Amino acid sequence: MSGKEGFVEADNAEAIITRIEHKSRKIEALLKQSKPVEALKTALEGSPPNTRDERCKSANWIAVHRAIMAIRDLDGLFASLDPEYYDILMKYLYRGLSTGDRPTCDQCLRIHERLTERAGLGCIVRCLADTINTV
Amino acid sequence: MAAISVHRFASCITCHSWSPDRSMVAFCPNSNEVHIYRLSEDKWERAYVLQKHDQIVSGIDWSARSNRIVTVSHDRNSYVWNMEGSEWVPTLVILRLNRAALCVQWSPQENKFAVGSGAKTVCICYYEPENNWWVSKLIRKRHNSSVTSVAWHPNNILLATTSTDGKCRVFSTFIKGVDTRDSEAGASVDAKFGEQILQLDLSHSWAFGVKWSPRGNTLAYVGHNSMIYFVDGVGPSPLAQNVLLRGLPLRDVLFLSERMAVGVGFDCNPMVFAADDSGIWNFIRFLGERKTSSSSGSKYGSQFSEAFGKFYGQSRQGTSNDGGENSRHLGSVHENCITCIVSLGELGSSSTRRFSTSGVDGNIVIWDLENSEDLLEFL
Repeated sequence: MSGKEGFVEADNAEAIITRIEHKSRKIEALLKQSKPVEALKTALEGSPPNTRDERCKSANWIAVHRAIMAIRDLDGLFASLDPEYYDILMKYLYRGLSTGDRPTCDQCLRIHERLTERAGLGCIVRCLADTINTV
Repeated sequence: MAAISVHRFASCITCHSWSPDRSMVAFCPNSNEVHIYRLSEDKWERAYVLQKHDQIVSGIDWSARSNRIVTVSHDRNSYVWNMEGSEWVPTLVILRLNRAALCVQWSPQENKFAVGSGAKTVCICYYEPENNWWVSKLIRKRHNSSVTSVAWHPNNILLATTSTDGKCRVFSTFIKGVDTRDSEAGASVDAKFGEQILQLDLSHSWAFGVKWSPRGNTLAYVGHNSMIYFVDGVGPSPLAQNVLLRGLPLRDVLFLSERMAVGVGFDCNPMVFAADDSGIWNFIRFLGERKTSSSSGSKYGSQFSEAFGKFYGQSRQGTSNDGGENSRHLGSVHENCITCIVSLGELGSSSTRRFSTSGVDGNIVIWDLENSEDLLEFL
């Protein structure tokens, strides 16, 4: 990759980080109003799977993790979560499981079971098969 | 029931193909042999065994008009078998490959056949009467990985390929002296041999099983990421759609008409897809009936269920870890991954309601949509 393209990528990364910071504040506000599902949707929206910048991915994971851990009512979650979010949520659940942190894993497994019932094994296969758009 | 005939020929079948009059079936029982069975008085009898290959036969195609069989194998060779008297006589075709041949298909006019290989190349073979010899012409340096499937456009020139680099490509295979320029196919025929017409970069994982619709208007291929792709208007401005699958990935696909296709794969049950009036493709339903098993682990209906039971068993305390022994028995017609689907329609017809499937369980199943009224509107 040439120097110029690298610069553009870094510049782009700054913009993404700023967007994620803005998103995080919105998530906090939604959580204060006890709207955890809205918070999770906000966190999943505009996730940066295309970028290779690990800082962006980490920043967005922190936002999604915050929202995932706030989910209490799984029935309510899946009643209002649209199918278009299933694939990206599954990717973040696997990222959560890879942390090895006990409470995170417990929560991710709980959601994983329900999500698999809803979205089927295809959702898992797509998540595992995609090595380009990682979260 | 849409499956009208089920016969277990072997413990595993890599591929199969039918004789022009559908009275005989040739298949490879996961070995270096090709077995040909004939149906006589409702019983399948072994008629011929074709022994020439040294390794697993990965592709068989029986030409509909000229009654020739072409086979390709992991031994990197191909044979064209001609019926002479009461014997099948093989002619060796030197493919010039350094890796296994993986798939083969006769062109619609049966003057050429295409071979996909693990050597990242596609061989287009044609007959040279002067030398009494099949010549192999290679399309090189276009694929970044193994070619898993090849499919001929009805115009006898365009060839679609899928590869484990995740891409689907369309090539021109015009060969001087074999093909003529006066066909009605238009601009795409003007391209010279090996020219890439189109590259579709929709899948990020292996691509398998590519097919054209009967008139060649739509191209379909499957990805190992549980997706199936439909492409209209192959040319400068293709229009691609992808359909997400709920279940496991597919391995092969077949068009029954311009508006309906059947996908087969790891869910062991053919899946019907159809296009609505606006041309949007959707999953319609599974073709086979699946009996619901009482075992809690098998609610996912596949071999994965046992592993899943263990996975969740760890998250809940006090749940026993035995996933149930009956996970092998799925209650569907095929008991393992379906790898091959072949049309049983009339030659040159634009739709068919009959096709056959074979797979890792060694069954060859013939399906007929006669009693599936909900699907006949798409034919």
